[in-house]
Amino acid sequence: MSFIPMRAKRTALAAAAAGLLLSTAACGSSDNTSDNADNGDGGTSSGPVTMTLWTNSTTGAGLDFFTNAAAAYHTANPNVTIKVQSVQNEDYDGKLQTALQAGQGSAPDIMYQRGGGKMLAMVQAGQLGEVNVSSDVQSNISAGAMSIYQADGKTYGIPLSITPEGIWYSKDLFKKAGVEIPTTIDQLADAAKKLKAAGTPLAVGGKDGWPAAHWYYMFAVRDCSQDALNKAATSAKFDDDCFLQAGKDLGAFVATNPFESDAFNVAAQGSAASTAGLLANHKVAGELMGAWEPGVVGDLTPNKKPLADLGYFPFPATANGGGDPAAMMQGADGYSCSAWAPKECSDFLNFIASPDQETKYAAAFSTIPANKAAQGSVTDSATKSALEASNNAPYSVLFLDTLFGSTVGGALNTAVVNFMSGQTSDPQSIVDAVNNASDKG
Amino acid sequence: MSDTPQASSALESSLDGNTTVGGGTDSVSPLTAVGRAPRLRTSWRERFEITLLSGPAILVFVAFVIAPVIAAIYYGFYRWKGFGPPTDFIGLHNYKVILSDPEFHRAVLHNFEIVALSLIIQGPLAILLALLLNRKMRGRSIIRVLVFVPWVVSEVIAGTGLSLMLPVNGAINALLTKMQIFGDVHVSWLGPHMGLWTLMAILTWKYLGFAIILLMAGLQNIPEELYEAASIDGASYWQMQRRITLPLLGPTIRIWAFLSIIGALQLFDLPWIVWGEFNVDRDGVSTMATYMAHYGPRTGLYGYGNAVAVVLFVISLIVAVLYQRIVLSRDISGAVTDGKKKKR
Repeated sequence: MSFIPMRAKRTALAAAAAGLLLSTAACGSSDNTSDNADNGDGGTSSGPVTMTLWTNSTTGAGLDFFTNAAAAYHTANPNVTIKVQSVQNEDYDGKLQTALQAGQGSAPDIMYQRGGGKMLAMVQAGQLGEVNVSSDVQSNISAGAMSIYQADGKTYGIPLSITPEGIWYSKDLFKKAGVEIPTTIDQLADAAKKLKAAGTPLAVGGKDGWPAAHWYYMFAVRDCSQDALNKAATSAKFDDDCFLQAGKDLGAFVATNPFESDAFNVAAQGSAASTAGLLANHKVAGELMGAWEPGVVGDLTPNKKPLADLGYFPFPATANGGGDPAAMMQGADGYSCSAWAPKECSDFLNFIASPDQETKYAAAFSTIPANKAAQGSVTDSATKSALEASNNAPYSVLFLDTLFGSTVGGALNTAVVNFMSGQTSDPQSIVDAVNNASDKG
Repeated sequence: MSDTPQASSALESSLDGNTTVGGGTDSVSPLTAVGRAPRLRTSWRERFEITLLSGPAILVFVAFVIAPVIAAIYYGFYRWKGFGPPTDFIGLHNYKVILSDPEFHRAVLHNFEIVALSLIIQGPLAILLALLLNRKMRGRSIIRVLVFVPWVVSEVIAGTGLSLMLPVNGAINALLTKMQIFGDVHVSWLGPHMGLWTLMAILTWKYLGFAIILLMAGLQNIPEELYEAASIDGASYWQMQRRITLPLLGPTIRIWAFLSIIGALQLFDLPWIVWGEFNVDRDGVSTMATYMAHYGPRTGLYGYGNAVAVVLFVISLIVAVLYQRIVLSRDISGAVTDGKKKKR
């Protein structure tokens, strides 16, 4: 529902195994009997502490990163043992919510956190603990990325990676179709036409909903001023006219028929028939995605290696849009501590957010580390361009569905899909869906 | 859900047997004391036996059927996003929104379309195939296996496979194109025009085996002597099927129809997987259950989702009870209906 992160859908096998995958930190300590309850908030750091960590990463490199980090942390702090547990991404939100509802004993101490409205709901329910960010980490993570994990002036998580949005494309296919990098929407529509004529259109994974919704988000970022976006972020209402204008502009763009045929029966990730798979196999020329894209596409290439000619360009500017053409939309992947976690949790988060661990994290997930001191390790050229675009952005906005939380975000995504797939033709329906989302319960 | 009326009535009838009887001695056997024999007092030992035997079933039933229903009713009165305890009591607001939401109306309509079409399409097909497979002939076991395989395959696996085959660029259209009979095929099998019929084809393929298994079991119970007598009297094969098989297969057909109706009302997995949550409504294959999942857990509206679950429960319950009272009454008279009659 929210922006679906990097290690999303792998093989069915991985998904099936995920629930059973419980790998403990490789360490000598056999003292797993110590329950978190014993350690409480005010627990002393001298006694043995066991913490559980939930990640949505189910596969090799990503999972290895956390097991290794837990082991390294244990070596430095022999009294702390961290158990890493992997939960399949699509199951993650539901399982986490259930575990947090059950509270102490069931809730993981350290958890993967998407931030924004989803995190806010947990904060308001008193399920998250405040994180004490070390000054080293604080100074190295941009305020924008950090703000995703803040509520009421307090910090409830630390971002490990940032995922700027843009169009990820095949350089070869663009060249073949004679297409230059577009900087305006008109040029993009023109490029889409040429790409489609060449048999390799732009793609959108409409079946999953959110990939289509991202198109609307980007039109909103281009059409709305920073002020209007900030207002919408706090009120969760689309009061400014620019949100209707974004719908109109999206409608005009969709009317040029830019995407692959039958786009709303195509999923975004996981198989060769998904848009990421089609891009990996040069069947489509590109798609709008966050910076998890190189990793997702790399998994689906015939040789399972990164797509060699993958490129990136920021979303083009709309005509007369009220937003800065360089403004960025992005998400972050981070980690939080539960309200019942021992105080060592904060310390561990600072540890994995350190430049050394962040470098390893970025390599494992082929993504952009949130810690600036580790960003030099990004080598992939497409990811590098995304990082550059992110650094050049005058301001950036969180993915709207994550920002608004699942209720308003879900209503927004549904409305955008209905509009783009032709079920409704009135762009006002998108604005209404957001403004009336709270009607349902 | 289908167990609800039966189980509670069975319970009632056994309680009736216990409470309305009077007098009697301790030497009566438990078999006659329970239910059937009037004017006998049940001993403590018998009561203990009844408790012991029915206890576990009642416990499971209460814990996993009654308690969740009550919990759903409770949560349905709240505006609740699933975080923390529900505090925002909004009375019947959720129900008002559900009952006035055109998207829900469409889902209910689709449910009843699926109920009707399942009965109309699968019923005759299943009867014909069951008759066919009941005859001794070459390759019977292979046909049986072929018919039953789809029913055995998990919905998720079948759905995932079909969702890859059915899109415009999928395997089905590619196969039809390669056959070079229909030209270049670009049929939108999942689209709004074809959606419901594609779903019916999938459901028929998937669940026909189950109907056939039931009917073949019913066929086994028809005494051979009837056919022998009929053939001595010179009845043809079709006359025998019409005059003997179909009437005697009636109870089985009615039970199958009941299960099919309940299954159609609660249909969820195939539309959800093959079409996807954002497509079911547009393509005319949304059901009450997909509506519940989309507006419940998927959008974090747990209170609203619970209210939808209650509406789905009530609709299914009404259909089930009506069917039991009107259609099934003759088959289960004595098992379910007797208890009520005695009471009056």
